[in-house]
Amino acid sequence: MVKLKSFKRALWVFHLNTGSCNGCDIEIIAALTPRYDVERFGIRLVGSPRHADVLLVTGPVTRQMEDKVKRVYEQVPDPKAVIVVGNCGSTGGVFHESYNLVGPVDRIIPVDVYVPGCPPRPEAIIDGVAKAWLKLEKLEGK
Amino acid sequence: MKTTYTLPIGPIHPALKEPVMFEFEIDGEKIVNVDVKAGQVHRGIEWIGTQRNPIQILYLAERICGICNISHPFAYCRAVEYIADVEVPEKAEYIRVIIAELERIHSHILWAGVAAHEVGFDSVLYLSWRLRENVMDLIEYLTGNRVTKAMFTIGGVRRDITKDQYPKIENTIKYYRENMGKLKHVFLDDKTFKLRCRDCGILTKDNALKLCAVGPTTRASGVKKDVRVDQAYSAYGDLDIDYITPDILTGEVKGDVYDRIVVRLLEVEQSLDLIEQCLDRMPTSGNIAVEEKIPKLLATLKKVEGEGIGRHEAPRGEVIHYVKLTGEEHPYTWKVRAPTYNNILPWIPMLLGEQIADIPIVAASTDPCLSCTNRVAIVENGKKNILTGEDLHRLSVEKTRRLMRK
Amino acid sequence: MKKTLLTPEKIVKKLKDAFKDKIKETRIETRKAGQKKKEYTNIWIKIHRDAFKKCVKYITDKIDYPHLAVVSGNDLGKNIELIYHFSVYYGHRLGEISINISVDLPKEDPRIESICDIIPGALITEREKQEMLGVIVEGIPDSRRFFIPDDFPEGIYPWRKDEKGPQKFVRDLYEGDKK
Repeated sequence: MVKLKSFKRALWVFHLNTGSCNGCDIEIIAALTPRYDVERFGIRLVGSPRHADVLLVTGPVTRQMEDKVKRVYEQVPDPKAVIVVGNCGSTGGVFHESYNLVGPVDRIIPVDVYVPGCPPRPEAIIDGVAKAWLKLEKLEGK
Repeated sequence: MKTTYTLPIGPIHPALKEPVMFEFEIDGEKIVNVDVKAGQVHRGIEWIGTQRNPIQILYLAERICGICNISHPFAYCRAVEYIADVEVPEKAEYIRVIIAELERIHSHILWAGVAAHEVGFDSVLYLSWRLRENVMDLIEYLTGNRVTKAMFTIGGVRRDITKDQYPKIENTIKYYRENMGKLKHVFLDDKTFKLRCRDCGILTKDNALKLCAVGPTTRASGVKKDVRVDQAYSAYGDLDIDYITPDILTGEVKGDVYDRIVVRLLEVEQSLDLIEQCLDRMPTSGNIAVEEKIPKLLATLKKVEGEGIGRHEAPRGEVIHYVKLTGEEHPYTWKVRAPTYNNILPWIPMLLGEQIADIPIVAASTDPCLSCTNRVAIVENGKKNILTGEDLHRLSVEKTRRLMRK
Repeated sequence: MKKTLLTPEKIVKKLKDAFKDKIKETRIETRKAGQKKKEYTNIWIKIHRDAFKKCVKYITDKIDYPHLAVVSGNDLGKNIELIYHFSVYYGHRLGEISINISVDLPKEDPRIESICDIIPGALITEREKQEMLGVIVEGIPDSRRFFIPDDFPEGIYPWRKDEKGPQKFVRDLYEGDKK
């Protein structure tokens, strides 16, 4: 495991729900509450994609949400990382055939980290954010 | 001309189900007309269900909603057991009730945190979600997972609750009895909360009946509707249970946001009572399922024909599933109705005449399983102004600070 | 106003006397639950579509203001069957009775009257039937689509099993970029 010598930036996260069942969403908020407490690292949820460093996407993308996902992705300033939380966004999960779903998230926007699980535990989500952090630091270092 | 351009700027914390679009017509600060547009989370689940066999549908039904994910399998199992005329063993009925009540506790405490956040008290959000972790630990101990529990099967349950697991259940109940007082004191005795929530977002008894509202939303308006009390299903017919309306605590029924908070906090205590009753009466030995081997179960279901409905009282209201089997591998029809869809129409009379800053708390008070803040269109001197969820939340918090300063 | 609770058999008899030959078939089913084996009852009625709205009005006036849970629909080949799931006598411990009224509509002429003036809460479920099955609900105050996006083509009804179903639009998500 690479040791992070200095926490150069505190990651601000924007959560985007493209039609999920909410299971992953409540585990994301549970990661902020006093039991798992990622706020001590400075990670916090922001209300606008223009302030965010990391985009957390959940859910298989429905037809109505397809162009909105693209717009939100363009509004997040560089350097950015996209994390897909849950099975639905990674491969479709249980909803793998439907008439109203446009596809796993990586058909629409490029994805950096996948966190599988239905829903993944808060510890797994924190691990995913830490990996995205390492990736961002590498991008900045270049 | 109203624009229908939408951007899914979700609410600040995503503890709600789907993006929903509102269009308000506003005159100054007051709301004059409301239009609701839903459908952004339409995944076509009912169509997918007709391509799978009855056991696969169980796992699909769990993922309709992550917060109330025992209610949908419960109603589905009831519907299929109605068609097949299968009698569930008694021990399994009690286990089902215990798990359903644990889910109700976790969902109501989750909602309490969300409601406090909408008003602007973030510390209450963290306090209540910390309280909630105990019931999540108990659920993980009993079922193996925090969120998607997978306890139900057609004709019973999949895992047993044995006598050596009782002490942990009793400890959790004791912990909650000691600590619910704290949560009740924060919500019900605080002066600012009363100023924000009293006489805000009123739903009259007449409107609640006519618009077919369900769940705590309708009980807070004085209508006595609760599937657990009305119908004899599972073990609820044997237990001592009654309708929870706000006059039990405050003595009067107004149908506003404060009353809905009262109803939900009282329901948590009712659930603790029900779990204790179940632990007393549950038979200690017996089958937990009519048929444990899945291939045999599927073969039996293939021979069954008919239609049936199954209803259950989820934390948000009544869930109803309709299933039609015709002797093939896949069901002919599967219809799901989640409770929030009956609670969308009551938003209209609740929001008329209110101020913009009250929109988040009124919408959140019906405990929607949707993230309800996409777009608010204001008509001001003929100019269009678009507010987003972030702005609505900020307005709500500012109003609270203004009231606190008085 | 205290009302007397009718038994399911009396309810069926009253409806049969009021609507005579418009009612095509009825059945009453009971199921038991729990240790004490308490019962609950479902009444299933099949009625002609001309008498449907009057039947709902009759239940509202003479029996109890019903709670409409949902309207489910079946595509039966030549006909479309709509089933309205009502329940009456809520508010009484173990006294609720479910009444399920089903109406058959021919596919060439799938019209039915709206009950939004008797039960305003029926609006969303009637809109859903319009977009999912192609039923035309007459007198509905608002006939826009509810769940399906506006750019979905007209004439495709997801719950239908004939040529108007959604087969062309189904995608397998894990196929990735092959399609």
